Amino acid sequence: MYSQKSDVETRYFKRFVKWASIIFFLSVCLLFSMTLASAVGPMPVSVENALGIIVHQVPILGNLVSGQWTPLEENVIVQLRFPRVLSAALAGVALSTAGVVFQGIFRNPMADPYVLGVASGAGFGALLVILFGVGFSSLGLFYAIPFMAFIGAIFTLLLVYTIARTNSGIPILRLLLAGIAVSSFFSSIISLMIAMAGEGMHVAFNWLFGGFPVNRWEYVNVAAPIILLCLVAIYAFARDLNVMLLGEEQAEQLGVEVETMKKRLLILSSLITAVAVSMSGIVGFVGLIVPHMMRILIGPDHRILIPSSALAGASLLVLCDAAARTILRPIVLPTGIVTAMLGAPFFIYLLMKSRKITV
Amino acid sequence: MVTLRIYGVECYYGSVKVLENVSFSIGSGELVGLLGPNGSGKTTLLKTISGTLKPKVGAVYLDEAEIYGMKSREVAKNIAVVPQNTGTDFDFTALDVVLMGRHPHISRFKFESEKDLAIARSAMELTNTWHLAERHINELSGGERQRVIIARALAQQPKVLLLDEPTTHLDINNQLEIMDMLKGLCSEKGLIVLAVFHDFNLASRYCDSVILLNNGKIVSVGNLDEVLTSENIRKVFHVDAVVKKHTLTGSLYVIPISQKRAETSINKKFRVHVICGAGTGTQLMKTLIEEGYDVTAGVIHVLDTDYETAQLLKLPVISEAPFSPITEENYRANLEMISKARAVVLTAVPFGYSNLRNLEAAKEALELGIPTFIIDDVPIKQRDFTMGKAEKFLSELEGKGAVYVRSQSQLLSLLCKLREKLKQKEASVRVH
Repeated sequence: MYSQKSDVETRYFKRFVKWASIIFFLSVCLLFSMTLASAVGPMPVSVENALGIIVHQVPILGNLVSGQWTPLEENVIVQLRFPRVLSAALAGVALSTAGVVFQGIFRNPMADPYVLGVASGAGFGALLVILFGVGFSSLGLFYAIPFMAFIGAIFTLLLVYTIARTNSGIPILRLLLAGIAVSSFFSSIISLMIAMAGEGMHVAFNWLFGGFPVNRWEYVNVAAPIILLCLVAIYAFARDLNVMLLGEEQAEQLGVEVETMKKRLLILSSLITAVAVSMSGIVGFVGLIVPHMMRILIGPDHRILIPSSALAGASLLVLCDAAARTILRPIVLPTGIVTAMLGAPFFIYLLMKSRKITV
Repeated sequence: MVTLRIYGVECYYGSVKVLENVSFSIGSGELVGLLGPNGSGKTTLLKTISGTLKPKVGAVYLDEAEIYGMKSREVAKNIAVVPQNTGTDFDFTALDVVLMGRHPHISRFKFESEKDLAIARSAMELTNTWHLAERHINELSGGERQRVIIARALAQQPKVLLLDEPTTHLDINNQLEIMDMLKGLCSEKGLIVLAVFHDFNLASRYCDSVILLNNGKIVSVGNLDEVLTSENIRKVFHVDAVVKKHTLTGSLYVIPISQKRAETSINKKFRVHVICGAGTGTQLMKTLIEEGYDVTAGVIHVLDTDYETAQLLKLPVISEAPFSPITEENYRANLEMISKARAVVLTAVPFGYSNLRNLEAAKEALELGIPTFIIDDVPIKQRDFTMGKAEKFLSELEGKGAVYVRSQSQLLSLLCKLREKLKQKEASVRVH
């Protein structure tokens, strides 16, 4: 019935191979950044040893490498640095993915978890636990922080949505403006809470600027499954996100239940934002710059955009975190400062380049 | 065989009713045109049928299935929409966009199969866009993009295709190409096509039937000759139009006549009689009508262009059998008509023995005291085929006070002055 495959069709299917190689390349990059980030610090460990130590922790595969490192080195990497690196990677995955989803749903290049207020809301929720959750056990804290952050994120999202809603739907411009207003409000509440925190001030302050104060394995064990499951769930809707770029009405006519899809995706991305925020504090710009970089490099198709943004975001945040730890050693800078220093100029470049694009 | 049935649909935007009790049905293989002025509810109706807008009252059935009870995916497998505005701001290729038409057919965790690609390809070949497959959609011209979007709709393999002004931004060649393609899809694949048109002639040439919508209500639905009448067009669009069957294509064609007529009623009751022929009066009659004059004409031979024009404009006209000299009876009738006019215009018509008596009639007009104007943009020597008789007549007319004008605009300004003068006279008569 159908005629011979043409060159165009062959090239179309080759694209899937290209996608696979992009994923492979970015995974290697991530592994490399994680190794490098584990190696640097007050007590330098060679890169081969760092890699060896990390691989050694993996069951089965670990038996293949023999140790030429000291027990101290192993302890530093396994107990101190690697959980921190891993939580930076997870936060990068979460924030970048949430950025892709928000930009896709709202068809707006400026949308990200921060602009929409979701991150500030999550931060508010998390900070409540950090400052007032004295009664919790340490494991209780690990669950309570992301849980309250999620509540804060969803609450903010509903608030922003309600404010932006008009009779004829939710105009993007109103949504962004409402997001910015609510975001500023929660940011100032957060500042106020920190200023009045007294003893807890230092902890809260470090957390707020992405200092990853919680770097224990327990936390990673909680955050990793949530983030990875959400990532898989979001990826299942990648093709729907593509179709939604055509506009809500056309998406509906192409069989996407737009309202349901929006709700699902907003809840999923709020959840990963909340988990990331409770782990890393408010690390700005990752959710904004990574999706844009990836769109410029590999195109708008969410089926490759989501995984590649996740991997690239992870690498970026791991490297930024490593830079924050080493640039002004022995002072450990908040990661948020490094990402903002990278992100703000990029944001400005984006603004200048896309002058013709209006909301 | 599939049937699309719309039952008593009513839609509101807020508290404004935009569709009221709309019912009709379309069967397999039918191409139906949806006509109506801006804001008459055409787009809303398409949205309702595609399931994007749920009506407050009423239902839409595709065979036995009620579409508001179906999932979007199911609806999208059966009903495809080509929207009016297809502007996009991202760089998917044309092929990517067409493959989005396969979205409802591909399950969640799968990529497009070779079959999906083959379907997209044949849809693109059908709309003549396959050569654009790897171009970015935002680099295409309006016409190309429109055809890509139609290909996307076809890739959905729908039973019903809804199009909102599919040909508006296209040139004439593209318009015909797309319409031929749609027609072909109807007859070959039994597709139901419902399309919004603003071009009556395109609609009448291709549609099996039409629906005329006004203020959210169906004014008329059915065969072209039942719906596309000048009365309906006047009622809905407030435009006078002539509806005729075209001799070459056999389809109806609609010629709108300027709507000034209705507005400038000041000139009404000022009757101008035009003596013309051989097409010399066509422009003039139309202009006079547009300026709001009451126009009569005669004597004109049947088959003459001017006769056709007078018929189209529905003017009172005295006509004579083709190529025959003017009979006494028609001459009298013409004089009767002239006597009711406030002015007579004689165009630069060529004179032969068959229409020479029209000059006699002009002379009678002058004798009755009716101002007579002679347009002589072509010298009489070049159009006198009566051995000088017509020329002699004309100079006689001049002697009796006929006014020579060189152009239509000069004539119009003279008529205007004449009208003013007569009005003042009438006023002063009334005062006395």
